[in-house]
Amino acid sequence: MSKKILTVDDSKTIRMIIQRAFRAHDCTFSEAGNGEEGLAVAAGFRPDLIVLDITMPVMDGVTMLTKLRQDPVLKGTPVIMLTAESGRESVASIAALGISDYLVKPFKETELIEKAGKVIQLLPKAA
Amino acid sequence: MPAPAAAPAKKTDDLAKRFGLAPTPESVLRLTQLVARREASAEDVAKIIAQDKGLAARLLRAANPRADTEEDYSCTTVEDALARIGMSWVLLLAMTDPLNRAVKNAFSTLFNLELNPMLAGTAVPFEEEHVRGEVTFSGRATGLVHIRMMPSTAATLAARLLGLSPAELDEAAVNDVIGELNNIVAGNFKSNLCDAGLDCKLAPPQITRTTEFELFRPDGNVAERCGFRGDDLDVFIDISVNPWTD
Repeated sequence: MSKKILTVDDSKTIRMIIQRAFRAHDCTFSEAGNGEEGLAVAAGFRPDLIVLDITMPVMDGVTMLTKLRQDPVLKGTPVIMLTAESGRESVASIAALGISDYLVKPFKETELIEKAGKVIQLLPKAA
Repeated sequence: MPAPAAAPAKKTDDLAKRFGLAPTPESVLRLTQLVARREASAEDVAKIIAQDKGLAARLLRAANPRADTEEDYSCTTVEDALARIGMSWVLLLAMTDPLNRAVKNAFSTLFNLELNPMLAGTAVPFEEEHVRGEVTFSGRATGLVHIRMMPSTAATLAARLLGLSPAELDEAAVNDVIGELNNIVAGNFKSNLCDAGLDCKLAPPQITRTTEFELFRPDGNVAERCGFRGDDLDVFIDISVNPWTD
């Protein structure tokens, strides 16, 4: 069954690169440009995995993650943080909110697939 | 959002290992933490700098901006150089190496391009309109990171990343790519500030076209420009920071 991935990043380029990274796998995508939009899309899309940025306008990724973990329906959704920020204490406080993994930009597509593959079962796309 | 609570060093190291985060060089960490505490003595700072020959050499170069060679230096000791340029400069100097590595890594990973710092005296200022990205940060340290390049360079980079030809790209697509590059470079700098104890938060990138090439250096800030060159393209990164805003 196709895995549903939600990408939340204010950069259209990054959202495109993430989708491109999964091109060989059977995945369906939805996207959002900030945390507020991300929560709204997640409620309807019910993703198997969220790939989440931190610095975004309107609502940042940490606030979105906090609200996600408080949502009775979405709280168990796996999240991989994908961000340019790697300050140790910031990573620790985000990890305490509950994340599956953390990837620092710039990233190689193979790194993202490797980390996602540990969280959800990635199947090859049918020919 | 409230500032995150301090986490024990062991726990943050374990998390860094688990997530595969690159470690900050020990000398940079010790130096930035010492300077960020503000009450650091010049002797303590000088001791750490003296252990790092590269950093000592860059400090002396910064303290003797008009000298062409080391023989022309009027300021020849680390202690004198510190007294001349000030402690906040040390913070910037210490972070230049990790920043240079971050810029090279970003260009290599995103664009498959090898970029190297420009040799002293070879930088050619942009006189025409160019693309300028700006990411500001605020908190215990404030400042900004500018990234500058010619429009043709910006289009080439965007095309490489998106797998299109420059002619297929509109300005919004180019701006998005340069904004993300700016965010990555600023994110690295900000993370090092935070690791030094200077918590701050990034703002989303802003991209403009400008002919203004002056280094932004408001009162209280220290600023430095780093030039990079690769494959016939020039890129400048400007850092302006006030590490002691509180």
